[in-house]
Formats: sequence, structure tokens, C-alpha cells
Amino acid sequence: MNKFFMKNLSIICFIFIPIIFLWHPNWLGFLGIQPYWPLFWLLPWSMLHGSNNGLIFGLFLGIILDSLTLDSNFTQIPGLVLCGVWFGRFKTHSNILVGHFRYGLICSFGSFICGSLYFLQILFKHFPDSTFLIVMPSFQNIIAEVFLTGFFAPLICSQIFRLFRFSREKSLIKIFSKK
Amino acid sequence: MFDIRRISTSRWWHKKKNWILFVVFLFLVFVRISKGSLYKDLYYFISKPFWPGQFQKEVIRKSLDQESLVKIKLLEKDNRRLREILYLRESTNGEKISAAVISRKTGSWWRQIILNKGSKDGVEIGSSVIGPGGLLGRVNSTSLFTSSVTLLTSPESKVGVLVDRIQIHGLLVGSGDDYPNLILYSEDADIKVGDFVSSSPASTLLPPNIPIGIVQSVGKPFKAKKTAKILLLAKPHVIDWVQILKEKI
Repeated sequence: MNKFFMKNLSIICFIFIPIIFLWHPNWLGFLGIQPYWPLFWLLPWSMLHGSNNGLIFGLFLGIILDSLTLDSNFTQIPGLVLCGVWFGRFKTHSNILVGHFRYGLICSFGSFICGSLYFLQILFKHFPDSTFLIVMPSFQNIIAEVFLTGFFAPLICSQIFRLFRFSREKSLIKIFSKK
Repeated sequence: MFDIRRISTSRWWHKKKNWILFVVFLFLVFVRISKGSLYKDLYYFISKPFWPGQFQKEVIRKSLDQESLVKIKLLEKDNRRLREILYLRESTNGEKISAAVISRKTGSWWRQIILNKGSKDGVEIGSSVIGPGGLLGRVNSTSLFTSSVTLLTSPESKVGVLVDRIQIHGLLVGSGDDYPNLILYSEDADIKVGDFVSSSPASTLLPPNIPIGIVQSVGKPFKAKKTAKILLLAKPHVIDWVQILKEKI
């Protein structure tokens, strides 16, 4: 059981992202807005497995999260796919401290991309009568989300990255020892 | 002539990994089509130990009493009007289902709550959801154990309302913040800060006379429309128990 858990840790974490997305703990939020949780998983995953896997799992995450939200007109898929591909191009940094803060910066920018792409969809849909009243809350959403995602990323991403790398190394060692 | 033949072929369908990814993709498409009902039901069981307790129910009962007083006054007024007009349909006293809020998204892009009662308990899509204070929103989708409610603050929400003092119908549209916009299709509407807004007796989506909110600020007339910001009476970010109206409109 323990071996199974260690081997499939990243996939188990993937299954729990929508649960955290639904949980939406208010005490972690700011102005009623939460950090963009899927990026905390997608960044370590893409860094370890590359752009192609980032793209596929960005798409998978987008499909699941879209099914949980009621806005059927807008989708989170473009932002997550773009982030998955982009995150896959990053390599780990030798300096731990720089690495930690790099997670924050990358996640902040990723959150900005996702938020902006979502906002553009809203603007596009309401284009003929898009009012200032829709634009202002959207800006507030993007800024608060970017801040919170960047704030929590160094803490969460580095731990998730360590766990994923550890479980991956373990499974690789097992494969080589069998050969 | 040399006969060039390929000795071994490597196509994508020969790889097991690709088939696994394809099956996962099909499963996720199923999740998407079913509007995440599988996940919502899983969340129902995981969050069960953390549902709000009985104390909240008592607080809500007090608030409901206050709400009932306001409602009775409104109904009396409406009845008088009905006798005069003899046109409006009757407001029915349908069955109510009490439900706890097990997930809420009251900020950010999505403004929705998930309740712990689903199609198993008789919740139907389109049912109105009320909390202490008044209307919260309408049920948008149901799974076996849960139902998802689009809040009045969501940009997806559009409901017909009545400004009680001036007896003018308008449209309440969510704008993505905590104060939805009331749109009145009349430049000369004498709407004032503090005016009371309730669900419209002419609405085909909601039961009549459910308290909704109070006018907080009035905007300048634009393109023969007058807009106002509404302060909702029911606060979705603090309410733990709600009621789903089963009545058919």
C-alpha cells in the first residue's frame, strides 16, 4: 500500500486538486479570493516531466476544473495548457533560496496568464455592452490571485517538488534494479 | 529494383502509455459532461465531518422569523393589489428542503455554492435557494448527493425583480462583485437609495415576493437605462444553512 502510494504520489495529488478547489478555505483567502491551486501542482509536475506532459495534464486539469464551475461560457483550459508547456521548460536551480523564490515568481506570472486569459474571454463575451462594472472586479480578482499564488508558491511548490522527485527517483531505482 | 520494406513500425497506437492517456481523457470528458458530479459527490463524503452544526440552525431560525415579518407585509400588499387587478398568479406555499453549504466560492471568478442535498432528495434544476435575509440564487446543476447554486452575484445570474416603492420591474444582473446591478429600462424611474427590491410577481423563474436587497447607490441614466447597485440581504459568504424551494412556478 505504502509502495503504491509512493509510486503514484503525483497522480494522487492530482486527484485531490479539485477537492481543494471546492474546499475553498476562506481563512487562506484575501478579499474572498483564493490562490490559484492547480498551478502549485502543475509547476513541479511540468518541471520534472517536461513540456509535453505539462500540456497534457494542463488540459486534464482544465477539463476537471471547468466541470466544477458553473460558468459554462468560459474555460480555464487555455491558461493551464499554456502554463503547463511553459513550466516544462524550467530546470531546477542549484541555489535553494533562489529556487524557492523562483517558484513564487513563476507561479505569480502563471496565475496572471490564467487570470488574464479568463478575463479576456469574459470581455469578449460581453464585448458589445462590456461595462466598467465588470472590468473592475476582474482586475481585483487577477491582482489578488497573483499576489496570493506568489505568496504561497515558495512554500507549497518546493515541498511538492521534493515529494515528486523523491517518488520518481524511487520508482526509477526500482526499474533499474529489476533490469 | 530494390523492394524497400519497413521491418518494424512504431505507431502511436502501439504504445500502452498513449492508450492509458486516451482512456483518462475519455474519463475526464465524461466528468466534464456530467458537470463534475462524480467529484462533487466525492467531496460530499470527504467534507461530511465538517458540516455546520445545530447552533447555526437556531441563529437562522431567528433570522427567518424576521424575514417572515417582512414577507407577510409584502404579501398583504400584494394581495390588495391582486384583488384590484385579478391578473397575477397565486404564490404557492411549496415544500422547502433545508440544506447545508458544503462548498462556497463567493469571491474570485466563480460565484457559486454547493449544497449537501441533491437529486436524491428531490432538488431540481432551476429551484430557488433562499437563506436568512432572502434570495441567494438558483440551482444550476445537481448530482446524486449535491446541488450547485449560481449566486445572484455571479455574472451568469439574471433575474426579474420589482422595486417595491415605485412598483417598477427591472432586471438584476450579477457583475462579479458583491453588489449586483439593477437595470431599469426607464430613464425616468424615480429609484432612490434605500428602496426595497424583491422578486418580481411577473418573473417566470422565481416565486414572487422573495426579499432580495436594498438599493445602495444609483447610477446615471445611460442609453435609456437606469442602473443601481443592490446590497443583498442574504450574505452568501457567511450563511451555512439554506432552504431550497421545491415549488413549481
